[in-house]
This record gives sequence, structure tokens and C-alpha cells, in this order.
Amino acid sequence: MSAAAPAPAIASPGSGTSGTAGAARIRATFEAAKSDGRTALIAYIVAGYPDGDTSLAAALAAIDGGADVLELGLPYSDPLADGATLQHASSVALRNGATFERSLDLLARIHRARPTVPLVPMAYVNQAVGRDDPEAALRRLAEAGASGLILADLTIDEGAEIEAAARAADLALVYLVAPTTAPDRRIAIAHRSGGYLYAVSFVGVTGARRSLPPGVGAFLRDVRARSPIPVAAGFGVSRPGHVRQLGRVVDGVIVGSALVDALGDEGDVARMADLVRGLAVAAQRDLTPRLPPEV
Amino acid sequence: MTAIAPRPSTRTAERLGVLADIAERRRADVAAELADRALADLGRDAALAPAPRDALGPLLRPGLHVIAEVKRRSPSAGALASPETDVVSRARAYVAGGASIVSVLVEPHWFGGTIDDLAAVRAAVTVPVLAKEFVVDRRQLPVLRAAGADLVLLLSALHQTRPLRSLVRAARDLGMEPLVEAHDPRELDRALASDARLIGLNNRDLRTLLVDPDHAVRLRASVPDDRLVVAESGVREVATVAGWRAVGFDAALIGEALMTTGDDPIAIRARTAAFVAAGRPPSAAEDPAAADRTPFVKICGVTDVPGAMAAVRAGADAIGLNFAPATPRVLDERTAATIIAAVRAAASPPPLVVGVVVDRDPDDANALARRLDLDALQLHGSEGPETIRRLERPVWKVLHLPPECADDAVATVAEAAAATVERARSYLAAGAARIMIDTAGGPFPGGTGRRAARQLAAAVAREVPVMLAGGLDPANVAGALVATPALGVDVAGGVERRARDGTIVRDRRDGRPRKDAFKVGLFVKRAKAARLDRPLSDARPTPVHRGLLDVDARGRWGVEGEFGGRYVPETLVGALVALEHAWDGVRDDPRFWAELRQLRTDYVGGPSPLYRADRLAAALERAADRPIGHLRLYLKREDLNHTGAHKITNALGQALLTRRLGKTRVIAETGAGQHGVATATACALLDLPCVVYMGIEDVRRQAPNVLRMHELGAEVREVTSGSATLKDAINEAMRDWVTNVETTHYVLGSAVGPHPYPRMVRDLQRVIGDDAATQLRWVEGRLPDVAVACVGGGSNAIGLLSRFIGEPDVRLIGVEAAGEGVSTGHHAAALAGGSPGVLHGSRSYLLQDRDGQVIEAHSISAGLDYPGIGPQLSALYVAGRLEVLDATDSEAIEALRLVTRTEGIIPALEPSHAVAALGKLVGGLRGHALVPDDAVVLLGLSGRGDKDLGVLEGEG
Repeated sequence: MSAAAPAPAIASPGSGTSGTAGAARIRATFEAAKSDGRTALIAYIVAGYPDGDTSLAAALAAIDGGADVLELGLPYSDPLADGATLQHASSVALRNGATFERSLDLLARIHRARPTVPLVPMAYVNQAVGRDDPEAALRRLAEAGASGLILADLTIDEGAEIEAAARAADLALVYLVAPTTAPDRRIAIAHRSGGYLYAVSFVGVTGARRSLPPGVGAFLRDVRARSPIPVAAGFGVSRPGHVRQLGRVVDGVIVGSALVDALGDEGDVARMADLVRGLAVAAQRDLTPRLPPEV
Repeated sequence: MTAIAPRPSTRTAERLGVLADIAERRRADVAAELADRALADLGRDAALAPAPRDALGPLLRPGLHVIAEVKRRSPSAGALASPETDVVSRARAYVAGGASIVSVLVEPHWFGGTIDDLAAVRAAVTVPVLAKEFVVDRRQLPVLRAAGADLVLLLSALHQTRPLRSLVRAARDLGMEPLVEAHDPRELDRALASDARLIGLNNRDLRTLLVDPDHAVRLRASVPDDRLVVAESGVREVATVAGWRAVGFDAALIGEALMTTGDDPIAIRARTAAFVAAGRPPSAAEDPAAADRTPFVKICGVTDVPGAMAAVRAGADAIGLNFAPATPRVLDERTAATIIAAVRAAASPPPLVVGVVVDRDPDDANALARRLDLDALQLHGSEGPETIRRLERPVWKVLHLPPECADDAVATVAEAAAATVERARSYLAAGAARIMIDTAGGPFPGGTGRRAARQLAAAVAREVPVMLAGGLDPANVAGALVATPALGVDVAGGVERRARDGTIVRDRRDGRPRKDAFKVGLFVKRAKAARLDRPLSDARPTPVHRGLLDVDARGRWGVEGEFGGRYVPETLVGALVALEHAWDGVRDDPRFWAELRQLRTDYVGGPSPLYRADRLAAALERAADRPIGHLRLYLKREDLNHTGAHKITNALGQALLTRRLGKTRVIAETGAGQHGVATATACALLDLPCVVYMGIEDVRRQAPNVLRMHELGAEVREVTSGSATLKDAINEAMRDWVTNVETTHYVLGSAVGPHPYPRMVRDLQRVIGDDAATQLRWVEGRLPDVAVACVGGGSNAIGLLSRFIGEPDVRLIGVEAAGEGVSTGHHAAALAGGSPGVLHGSRSYLLQDRDGQVIEAHSISAGLDYPGIGPQLSALYVAGRLEVLDATDSEAIEALRLVTRTEGIIPALEPSHAVAALGKLVGGLRGHALVPDDAVVLLGLSGRGDKDLGVLEGEG
């Protein structure tokens, strides 16, 4: 009963979510950033952290500070891909009453306030499949204004069912690719991902890091070369220097734990907004000094 | 006529290295010493030597046998013994230690041997003696025989195919059995082409003298099973020999490792005995489950007494005598009676004697069976089920597989299988004792000699109990038994004497074929060993949906493939795929299982006993107001394992796997601490650094286990996130693994997690139920009516229950922890109180709210305090194959005390849940069938309760 290594599956009309309206909106945003000479900046905050109102303010401040796309983390009881910061944020949000309904409401309010910015909820697979009706959950996310969806523990091997639901809801389903992903599989994932391809910059869980790991440049260049859609790098990205460094290689950068750290339990939206503005400046490629080829 | 191997060319000499020098020198020696001796002259000397001893018989016995070697020195090791060493006393010590054959180096210049050593040893021992010589000239053979040699070494490297074949024939004509040695595939091809029955595979390259201890094992796969195979050189440890036995070597030639023991005969004997013991196959007591997989072997078409005696010596379970007119092996009744008398006088118990008939009138067949006192009748014709009812002896019915289906498309095979299964069931319903599957189409209905359609046979054997017949021989029988869950095998033509062109030789006097004693012996040996160290090979029908027994190609379980899979961050996929492939390799690697079984017997203290708990049974009956003394309750005592629970088996298996994966660090999670202690223990044994994640809540509840892990050298990392119990410990271990996946193996402790974990942990733990089934058969003669186990993640439950999934008459019961009661919401009953979703990488039942948030489990038992359950158990539950009961915290405590007071066994809180639920079931539970009065119940006592005493204290 040996299962072969998951075979690379090149996208066909029946797979992937590149054809959805959500994917189109996201791609347009990346193109706009590119024509502005910018690396697309993707900000991640946790819905309901530290509380509902503050997370709304934080989302708007991140967008106003220069985020092109907003990833909204839906707090989960067992976030096994997340480091200490996001585990803590998840558990505080849940303790303070975060639910799927409230996250939908938050999503809708952000969307009403900043309708042009693509919103991409990020969750774990059980938040979709553990519910009575996963298709309805995705449809409601789309109705609330989401353009895409990321599930941290969903890979292309298990994704067909959710992909179908995402297509039905017109949502882009964003897949992740990691440094440990085999080369053929990187191609397969890139062709199945919708909107953008989430490149995990290092082997580990989420969390802000002082410096990016050696070899990240080579990995990202490889992914970039294989991907037909924009590539955004995340995990560990926390400083303007990181954004400059990565911006030379990929189309977008994702900053999560650093923003959540800045926001903190006290909900310091201003501190977080400062950080976003600094990152947005670094995302401006014209100002980027030339780096040695190997970063 | 002298046959001198031609002098090698310069290129050949370079290729042969040291070997060329030795051969050259031997040639010169022969030229000088035997210059004036004619071959015929030498042959006369040889004829005067004592008769050769049977060299193959000892190697045909089960297991691996030791050929112990005397050599004074070697080119690789230098001097191995002082010049005055007593080779005779050494050889006697070898034999006293159990060596089956003594090998004596005869070559003088490099190895310091003499022909006198050979003669002296031969005269002093009773076992066959191998002349270890560099034979370059045919005249050396009679000289060696004259000195007493029973076997002679021939190096395939020194001879081309045809000269080698003629040397083999010459040696055999002298009564010596040639051992033809090869080191590489080309030499092996020549060795096989020489028709040698004894093939040696040398780990040492005689050209360079370098040893690669795995070389022979790799080459073994290229030697057909119809030869006896000897591994040579490279033995350092006893474990190496055990591994050689497991992969199918019949003997190990051991020299240096014995020579370096010194001259003390007692030490030499002890060292020899250690190697001999390592070559012995496990006894039934050491490996009960293997007895359950050992096939029934019948030697059919026996035509004379020597053939029947060959079957008896080989350990065949039955012989078949043919009474079908106009078939080549048909016997007259007088000959049959002589054979039967001889067989019954020779063995106790004798093999069954089966009479083969074709469309014989039932009254006539009954009369025949009475006259000859046949044990069974085998029907080979077109007899219908109604015939069986009229026969007075047990009936074995042969079903011929239609030949057009043999190699056809899958759909045809499935249809043919379904039709055959239906026919087989009609015969079984009419009272047939066995079904035999044979391919049709040959000229003789008494055994067609055609290769059975393996695929079709396997499909049939999964549904009904069958024996395989047709086309089997010593070379293919092991493969057939691994590929087909048949109960046994039947052979006729495959073990008969054949001419060089492959045609069966008919006896001159009566025109019937004759059995070849060597082939009969080897056939039985290969058949009996086929599944010995393959605990995962199917050996019986399992008429349930495949999805309940194993994963599909995507790692999913269930009738709809709705459980399991691999829901993990992308970073882990590569490691899981690598793990899956590594495990697929291990599943088929007898060396792994032999090593693990050895640890189980010597280190863990297994197989754990099966204990009949009469006082506990009576207490349950009394409480239920039922008659006392009817229930037969058997506890599978996994609590007696080293470290006190079933967990050690999985931990040792995965620790061995860690080494194979080339990983250098181990992490684990633990709830009750049992898996943490087991993993820390395995890591201490195998010298691996170990980190154990444990919820701080459990650290508090299970303090003694935390201390044990510390003392074993493991680092215990307390987990404070979430509910700070097992679930969160798994999360944290997963995070560690995501971060350190390149160096670390995650030893998951339960049959949960992403594929391949649920399958791997099940594979490792199923020994619990596999052993219990045989142990129960020994005392009850049958399988249990009910098998019951507690369920947290489910490693103990799936381990106990796996054996019985395909046994429709066995009720399978899983007992979940009800905490304060399932209706209170404070429980750990994932099946009874949960719904399907994804937790820890696989799709299965779990406790969750309507947002898919995981709900914390509640149980007084840390080992059951888990909101999920393994995917295979979920699949069994949904398919209706697993009944689910529960027990509350207080019921479990009460049961713990009951077991302790009635039996003097303090069980862990986990299995105490199973006892409590069984008590309720005996009393009668709505929605569940009553346990009959005289039921045989198997209950998994998965761990001991010392760790829980602190908790009990708090409960008053």
C-alpha cells in the first residue's frame, strides 16, 4: 500500500483557483505595486486580537500605512504552525470572545472601509472542514469581502475538496511552499495556488526573527523562477532591511508576528502603524541600494 | 585425464589480486606433489575413506546453522593461533557449542593449514567437515575426500562456467557436497549455473581482502530459494547472524570471530553456542504470532516410502496419495498401505494422510478411506457440494481456476475471484474442511504443475480459507506465501526428481515420479520460514472492506477513504514522504522485525502473558447478578512490559527506524508519561538524544514518570499552551519537528497524526493482539468472543484489535473516557461525543465546537485525556465494526480498586476504564448485545497503575 510521493500536478481547468475573481483582484494589486516600483506589502493581523475593535483599528491602520494586501488570522485553538507570538494572540482573541461570526463581521467592516484592498483570511483546515458545511463557510467569507484564503495545514495533496469550495465561492486558495519542498513539487504548488504563492522563508514556525536564514535568497529565486503567479515571502520577516532584501527577489513580503508583537496585548495601534510605514518605505524598490547577488 | 584450470591471463591475475597469487602457488604445489599420480589412482584412495556424512540434512533444518572454521592464520588478520594450537580440541569445542559443520583450512602458505589438520578433525568429530581449499586442479578433490572431507569449497572466481560445473559434478561423484562461493553477480551467475546446491556468498572480497558486512545480504536476493545459502565472513556480533537468518541464509561460515576467542575450549564452546543460538528461529513461546502465520504444508503425490519419509523428516503437515486412475502418481492400495504404515510408525504425531480422488463414487471413496484409514479425502474432480455431505472423512475440495483468467485484465480477475469465492463458500457450507486453489488446464487433474494465477489466488484467499496448489516449488513458495493470505501450500511436481532438461524423471520399475528429498526438505523449510519475520504479512482471510484494514495510496482509511490523510504545514511533507518510504521498506525487511522481536523478548520481557482473571470475572458476574464462574476473562498483561505499558514496543521500533533514517535526534510527546518514559528508555538504549514534550498539567499528575525520564537522560519540556495536556504537547512537538525536521525524528506515541504515523504505530503495536490470538488458542482453542480495550488516541486499542478486524465473529469494543459523564461535556469521548474533523494532521473524530475549535478533553486518566482518536478506529466505528462504550472517572477508579483487590494487579487508570465498561456490558447495556454466559473475553491491560497512586490518594 505504498503511496508514491505526491505527484506534481500541473494546473488544469479542474484544479487550482487562479481563475477566480478573488485571484484576479489579488493579481491586479501585485501588478499595481510592481508598476509603482514597489514590493507588495502584505500585513497580517489576528482577528479579535487583542479585542474586536482594536483589531479593526489595526487592520485599517496597516492598510493606511501602506499594506497592499491584508491577511486576517482567524484565531484557532491548536495553531501548530505558529510560534509563540501568534499562539498567544490566538488564545487571547479566543478568550476575548473571538468566533467565526465575529471574524466575518470584522472582515466585512474592513472591506466596507477599504474596499479596494484584497483581504485574505488565514486559518487552519479544521476551521473549514470541522464545521457542518465547509462550502457555506467559504461562501460567507467571500460574501464578507475576502478575496482569498490560506489554510496553514492544507497542502495540494489534500486540497482538492477545499479548492472546489473556493472556486464555487470565487475565492483564491493560497498554498504555501517551503525550503524543504522538492523542486518538482514547487512547480506543482505554484500552479495550484491562487492569487499568490506563499513562500515560507525558513524551516520552522511563524515568528519574528532578527535576521533571515542563509540560503533564503537561493530558495526564493528558485521559487520565483518556477511560479507563474506572484510570490510573497513570509515567516520571520520583521524589519525594513528584510523587506529590502527580499524585495529584490520576490513580488511581495508578508509581515505578521512583528506587527502582532508591536500591537501587543495593550493594543498599541500607533506603534504597529509606525512599523508598517517603515516597512512600506523599504518596499519602495527605487530607494533600494543594490545588494550583492547572493542574499 | 587431468583437468588443470588454465593459468590466468595477466589481466585476470590483476583482477584477482591476492587470490591469483594463492591460486598460482596452489597450481605449483599440485604440479610438484601430484605429478606422478593419476586421477583414477587418487580416486581409489578416496574410495577407501570413511563414508561421507550427510552435509545438507543439517542445513535443511529450520533456521541458520553455524559452519565453524579452523584456520591458523589468514592474509587479512595474520596469525590467529599459535603454531602448536590444538585444532582437534578446537573442533570438538565447536561441535560441543552446536556447530553443524566444521570447516578446516587446508591451504598451507597463506592460511597455515594442512591436509593432516583436515584428517585429524574429521576423525575427531561426528559432524560433516568442509575442506576449505583453493581447488585449481580436479586431482585435489579425491585427495581431500581421502582425508575425509564431506564438503569442499569451490571458488567461482577461479573457474569459468563449464569447468566449474564439471568440478561440481566430480566432487559429487566422490560423495562430497560442493560449496560454491561467489562475491559478485558475475561469479554468482557461474555458481548458479554450476548446479551447486550449496551457494556461499562472501562478504570479503578475496581480491582486496576488504569486508562489507552487508554485501552478502544484498546478494542474497539474487539467489533463488531452491539453493541452500551460506553467508561468509564479516561476523562481529551475534546480532549479525540473527539478521542473516531472518533474510534467508541457511548457514553462516564463521572463522576469525571464533579463532580470536583464544585456545580455551570452554570459551570457544560458549562463543560458538552464542552464534548457534542467534541462528535459531524463535520458538512459539518467543513469537506466538508467528505460529499463527506458519503455513500448513502438504507434500502431494507421494509414490514410495523414501519420498514419504523425506516429507516426515522435513516436517510436512500432510502427505497426499493419489488414487485417480490414469494419472502419473496413481498408487495401488498395497503400495499406499505400505507408505501409510511407514509414515505412521516414523513420526508422532504423524502427518495427515490425504487420499486424492477424482469424481469417485462417494460410497467407493468411503470404502477406500476406511480400508486405508485415510485422514481426509481430497476431491480433485467436478464433485458438487452434495458429494461432500455423503463422505465420512474431512473433505478437501480442489477448485480449479479458469486458465483464461490467469493473466487477464483486473476486471476479469475480480469477476473470476468473486465466482470462485462463491463456489468455495458453497463447498464450505456443505462441510468441506479446506479449499484448495489450483490452476486448471493441465493434462492431469491430480496436480497440474502450472503456476497458479497469483493475483486471483490472493483475491480468493482474502475471502475464504484456502490452500495454494499448482506450480509451487522451493524457489517460489516463500514468495507465494508472502503475496497470498493462504493458510497453506500443496506441492507435487515441484519437489520431484528431474532430468537436466527439467522433465520429471519416472522411476524405471513402476513408471511413477519420485520425490527428491533435498527439494522436499527445502520446500518445507522455505514455506515454514516465509512469514516468520514478516509480522505484517497476511496469513488468513479477512473478509471485510480493505479500507478497514489498511490505508489507500493517499494514506486514508475507511470504506469511503474518509479518514486519515496528511494535513500538515508544507514544511513537513518531505519528511513525511521520506518516513512513509522508509517505513514501506521496513515493513518488508525481516532483519528489522527480527531485531525488534529480539528486543521484545530479551529487553521488554515479551510476549506479555495472557492471564485468566477468574476472581475478577466472578466479581463482575456477581455485580451483574449473573451466574458465577462462567465468564472466561483473559487479561493481556502489557503492564508487565519493561517501563510498564504497551508503549515501549512502538518506541523501540521508531528508535530503530530513527537510526535507519540517519536522523540524530528524537522528540516525543507524552500524556500519562508512559510514552515519554518508553521513548526516553529506547533512546538511552540506542544512544540518541531525546526531548519529551509534556503538558504542565500532566507533569503535575504524573510526577514519577517525569523523574524517570530525567534519570534516563531525556529533557522534559513543559508545555503551558492551551489545556496544557497531551493535545498541546503534540502541538509543541510538531512545532519542534517543523523547525528541526532535517535532523530530528518525531516518535509519535499513538496511532494518530499524519500518514504514515497511524499505520506505522498500528503496525508496531498489532503484536499485542497477534500474540494474544495465539496465546488464547493455546488455552481455549479459539478466538475470543469479545475483545475490549480502552481508547485515547488508540495505540493500545488498535494494537489489540487489529488481529480481529477480519474475524466477523469477534466483537470489537473500544472504551472511551467519559470524565464526569458524556452528557456533562467534560469528557474525552471523541467517538461518542465528537464529530469528524482534522486534528494533528489527520481527518478523524474529535471534540470540537461548531467553529471547528478543538474542545479540551477531560479525564482523570492522562493517557486518555485527548480530544481526538486515530483514523483507523474512526473508520471502524463509522463502518459499524467497532462498538463504543465509556466509563467515567469514578467508575474507572472503582474498577482499578476491584482489579487490585481481586487479582493483586494494580492496573493503570487507562485500562481500568475498559474493566469498568466490561462490567457494565456484563450487566447488560441498552443498545449493546449481551455478553453470553460462557463468553471468552480478551481485555487489554495496557499499563500498570503505579503512576496513578498519587491521583488515587487525592480521591480518598
